[in-house]
Amino acid sequence: MQPMGIRAACVAAAATSVAIIAIVGATSSNLASAGESPMRVALQSDQSTPLAKMKADYRRPATIPFPKDNPYSVEKASLGKKLFFDTRLSAANILSCGSCHSPAYGWGDGQPTGVGHGMKKLGRRSPTIVNAAFGQIFMWDGRAGSLEEQALGPIRADVEMNLPVDQLIEKLKGIDGYRPLFQAVFPAQGIAPETIAKAIATYERTVVSNRAPFDAWIEGDETAISQEAARGFVLFNTKARCVDCHSGWNFTDDSFHDIGLASTDIGRAKIVPGIEKMKFAFKTPGLREISLRGPYMHDGSVPTLQAVMDHYNRGGIDRPSRSAQIKPLSLSKQESADLVAFMKTLNSDLAPTSAPLLPR
Amino acid sequence: MKPFTLVLLLAFAAGSATAYAAQVSISQKGKVFSQTELAVKKGDVVMFVNDDAVTHNVMSTSSGNTFNLGAQAPGVSLPFTFNNAGETVITCAIHPTMKLKVTVAN
Repeated sequence: MQPMGIRAACVAAAATSVAIIAIVGATSSNLASAGESPMRVALQSDQSTPLAKMKADYRRPATIPFPKDNPYSVEKASLGKKLFFDTRLSAANILSCGSCHSPAYGWGDGQPTGVGHGMKKLGRRSPTIVNAAFGQIFMWDGRAGSLEEQALGPIRADVEMNLPVDQLIEKLKGIDGYRPLFQAVFPAQGIAPETIAKAIATYERTVVSNRAPFDAWIEGDETAISQEAARGFVLFNTKARCVDCHSGWNFTDDSFHDIGLASTDIGRAKIVPGIEKMKFAFKTPGLREISLRGPYMHDGSVPTLQAVMDHYNRGGIDRPSRSAQIKPLSLSKQESADLVAFMKTLNSDLAPTSAPLLPR
Repeated sequence: MKPFTLVLLLAFAAGSATAYAAQVSISQKGKVFSQTELAVKKGDVVMFVNDDAVTHNVMSTSSGNTFNLGAQAPGVSLPFTFNNAGETVITCAIHPTMKLKVTVAN
């Protein structure tokens, strides 16, 4: 485990006297309908209130998890950052991991779908790497079980960076400046596919969202978010049922769902055939920094957060594979607006990321 | 032999065969298995019971006990017989954070 202060601001220890909030006029039995008329949120001292319990599920972890077989070191993360931003990891020398996972766009690329080798458009949107350290399965269809497993995939994919692994090794060995860096971090292996993957994965794990207004709010700062956003949080957990999939501090269950989008891409069903519910199913994305990461969905087909809410409100295409959690929500315009306001409180004050000096 | 007697004998034989294998039940609730680790013997049957409100799946790609029980609707129970010794990691293809390690002894 590594303190989150590597990139992100250190997470404050749990406040000792957290002001607990309850919904005025709403009880546990009527929370599901809360938001139909704008409700007021006020301070209460009872820690057993439904809202307080909801908040408890979203507390930030204090440390970043690193796997036992690839522990963190400053030198390894530094090497990984150089590799991540080095365009020489592509056949054409113009694409790096950072081209599609750019800090300028919330660690995505701001495009509906990625752009790969030869400027060819890819089939799916570039997912963010923010908080990937906390992920348990990777890629939109879950075909990678770890960041180490994922790291080399786009480099060697002919439609992405198009650099076969043997050529990648040869190329890096030909750059004098990389050799001592690899020798220092991986003295027994040097430049190898496994060490490249481990270094990139280690750097990626340091990309963690900073504290957001939402974090301050659940820790007791009542002024941190608006009343509109506070109502949106309650809706998120009740009537809108977003929490069924967007759960936990990073707002994802790391699971796969068909949310009823029109698409010919069958998603996870290609990886795990024979399960109806996996047709058109894609991994639930986390929601941290979400308003910086549009357009939305696996194919970038939904331009704004308001349009996302419109989709979920309609319930998408009713088909056998559609998740049982997806159904029309009957949200009012105000409720949809409240939910969008809430999601915007998940943006942190991301510090600028400096470009590394690359070995020559 | 009369058909009725034959049916009774076959039923008895089937009952005798299964009597030697233990059956363990694992619940899926709240998107977790009721246990994270399980020890069984070769030939034992594990019954997976979906006590959740969502569809689940039970599968493993571990060598020796590779299987996929397909979609498992809420309320449905599905059995799997572990016929090979070794360690088997089981997950749900829909909710891969669900994990169960089954150690199968000879």
